[in-house]
Amino acid sequence: MKRRQMPDSQTSHPNVTPLIDVVMCLIIFFMLVAKIGVSTGAEAMTIPATVMGLDIKDFGNTVTLNVFPGVTEDEPRVTALVGGTMNELRIRDAQGRNELADTLKFLRFGAAMKPGAATDNPNFAVIIRGEESLQYRYIEPVLMAAAEAQVKNVSFNTRKVSVTVRQ
Amino acid sequence: MRMKPPKAGHYDAGPNMIPLVDVVMVILIFLMLTGKFGGQEHFLVSKTPITQKGAGGAVPPPGYVPDEPLEIRVDSLAPDRYIARADGVSGNEYEQLTGQLRALRLRLNAANKPTEKIQVVISPTRGARYSHLLDVYQAALAAGFEKIGFSQAR
Repeated sequence: MKRRQMPDSQTSHPNVTPLIDVVMCLIIFFMLVAKIGVSTGAEAMTIPATVMGLDIKDFGNTVTLNVFPGVTEDEPRVTALVGGTMNELRIRDAQGRNELADTLKFLRFGAAMKPGAATDNPNFAVIIRGEESLQYRYIEPVLMAAAEAQVKNVSFNTRKVSVTVRQ
Repeated sequence: MRMKPPKAGHYDAGPNMIPLVDVVMVILIFLMLTGKFGGQEHFLVSKTPITQKGAGGAVPPPGYVPDEPLEIRVDSLAPDRYIARADGVSGNEYEQLTGQLRALRLRLNAANKPTEKIQVVISPTRGARYSHLLDVYQAALAAGFEKIGFSQAR
């Protein structure tokens, strides 16, 4: 029986059109979903795990505060990406100023750093990241600084879990 | 009669797609390696992060009725153990605490205290672990409370 053969062009060049279709779909998917070059200033640490939580889509009007056990017993070490550079924000610097509160006031109210300014930014939000073993004594001054700067929206960054993991 | 040989098969395959496939594959691999998908983390959002006495608060408008405070005292007993206590509530685990807090909220609602007027205040000790506090926080959230914040350390 005579077998039907594929044309020469088909045997030497496989049809790559379906491959390109699939790959293009994947590229469009990754371009839409992936966040490339977006840095919130979040430092690597083991954050607490929670079942509840919301996703934040837009980090444009937020600042992420990384809170670590502190220099002293009551003062945390706080780092944040402000103005494109990572800064350590002291609760009490050498002059006794609260750098963290001042920075948050600047981001909240602009250069005037007080309510009523034209540059008021009421939707400014703070994200707190801390190790799960961090003690409240280090979180409290950060919350106080946010309250002093009248930041109305504070979020706690946590790991997603489907069921609670007891640490 | 002399037979003609069959014509060589001619098939117009169009432009050469191989370089395109190469470039597209490189872009795909780049995106897969560098992309951050953010699917592993989320956020507990608080509109009233801390309640404090003294200066710093705005002057309430005339006729303002303050929220009903509901204090939850949290003590970390060990790295893996805590106790949270409130009015008729005593729990040390997320699901258990959620159930008790939900029952408390329904009791308060029945006593003519709407959820939106209840301010849950998590009152930790200075040494309370952050993970324990967020466990209590999410239990209050899961129980249906809307306003949840922290107080200054006891």
